[in-house]
Amino acid sequence: MADKSPEPTHFFDCNVFVGSPAYQRPLLPVPKAGALLAEMDRAGVDRALVWHIAQHDASPQAGNRLVVEAIRPHERLTGCWAVLPTQTRELAPAPLLFRQMREARVGALRIFPSVHKFVANGVSLGALFGELVDRRIPLFVSVRRGMDWPDVYALLEDFPDLVCVICDHGSWGMDRLFRPLLERYQNVHVDTSQYLLDGGIDDLVTVYGERRLLFGSGFPESYFGGMMLALRHARISDQAKAAVAAGNLERLLAGAEL
Amino acid sequence: MICDSDLAREFWELGKSDSCPIYDMHGHMGRWQGIYFPRAETEQMIGTMDECGVRLLVFSHHDALLAPDIGNRSAVEAVRKYPDRLRAYCVVNPNYPDRAMADIVTYEQNRDAYVGLKFLPDYHGLPLTHGDYRAAWEFAAEGELLVLTHTWKDSELDGPATIRTVAERYPRVKLLLGHSCHGDWDAAVSLARDFPNIYLELTAVFDDRGVIEKFAGEVGSHRMLFGTDLPWFDPHHAIGVLLSAAISDEDRHNICHRNAETLLEPFLRANMLEEAIHDHETS
Ligand SMILES: [Zn+2]
Repeated sequence: MADKSPEPTHFFDCNVFVGSPAYQRPLLPVPKAGALLAEMDRAGVDRALVWHIAQHDASPQAGNRLVVEAIRPHERLTGCWAVLPTQTRELAPAPLLFRQMREARVGALRIFPSVHKFVANGVSLGALFGELVDRRIPLFVSVRRGMDWPDVYALLEDFPDLVCVICDHGSWGMDRLFRPLLERYQNVHVDTSQYLLDGGIDDLVTVYGERRLLFGSGFPESYFGGMMLALRHARISDQAKAAVAAGNLERLLAGAEL
Repeated sequence: MICDSDLAREFWELGKSDSCPIYDMHGHMGRWQGIYFPRAETEQMIGTMDECGVRLLVFSHHDALLAPDIGNRSAVEAVRKYPDRLRAYCVVNPNYPDRAMADIVTYEQNRDAYVGLKFLPDYHGLPLTHGDYRAAWEFAAEGELLVLTHTWKDSELDGPATIRTVAERYPRVKLLLGHSCHGDWDAAVSLARDFPNIYLELTAVFDDRGVIEKFAGEVGSHRMLFGTDLPWFDPHHAIGVLLSAAISDEDRHNICHRNAETLLEPFLRANMLEEAIHDHETS
């Protein structure tokens, strides 16, 4: 028998949404937090940073309200809000916004510039994102939904110290696109949700260290267990596995001044 | 631990399972222009297979797919180096009918390495129904070979409508739908129901939650095949997905090895694989 592989202490998933997508009914919908928690329990995922699909499909206003309602009864769930450029004055201004986040247990933000029709750079976002940088509030962006690579490059050029997690970066070979960002910007991270690449976790952790990769499943569009099993048996240290599985997300959320 | 089952416990603890060996029916090898691979060399791939409990990988070499000047020889060499762990699909590139014909003529000399043919229409640019594929189809039908073809929703070259035409035309071919008409899951189900010679191969399907359950429920796990595009995708990811999906351990056994064992049986010399594994373990 081979040696028993060590258990990553726990899993804290950085990339999960709840809610019903407007544009296409999923094969296995997860409309409510209760269904999400049942799936997390089955898989052995302890905690999750959750956004709501309505933030993208409908509006940040509707989706931000829905995610707060979804997470409120559940300590294991932390919320993630969507924001817009400040010029149209649709969301609370900066200091108030952060207080609302703290009160609602919302620990991070997302943007969806393509569908919300804005350019993610300093001209549009400077007033708000200067604060994000100073307060080390993490921003999650999805290459599957809302941003393409040139957008991500442009955003980071204007906010080089932004604490940023690039999610859903794609399974068909994206290392040449995200590794230059990891090398240039020390606060950039990537999630595991579509990092299916054989040997990818090991290679990335070896080159960039264990602090730059976060466990994210992409649930409910992807399963929890795929990247859980890949991470558990990756050729990296127990300490690195624990960091990727949960520790890095805990550190980023704890580092934010709301 | 992903789910509560005997196989989940075994894979979670050990990364592999003696009772559930993996037959990966859709692999590759070597470099590809559009991706960085940490483990694309034969020995590195064997290392991954060892860790994940992959007993056999059936693959087409990237050189054969994208470098007609190299062709299939790297694949045959790799199989002869690891006959207990590898088998190859002979790649047919219809843009070079003369070379394809040469590969078919020499197939017999490489029968120890091959289990069938591999077509990649969306990349090679000609539909599966094109005349320059005909000799290959007829050869496969005559020998009742496996044919693994790339399939994708909406493709004029290898989408569901084209698959239906060739499935009707060549019922003796064991037709493995690579990626299961990715994105048109209903069409994949219809094809598998209408044609007993069609199998749903799951490379890149594992990333879409719900499809495994749909196929198992609407077609049956006896028609589903494990595949990863290795060295693209980590087999542990695919295994973790099968453990996540709401299917039984019996379904997982069918998908991981039983269906493949049945399909490959005519092409693996009697007991050769088991003997080779036994020799490897006792040496
Ligand atoms: Zn392939």
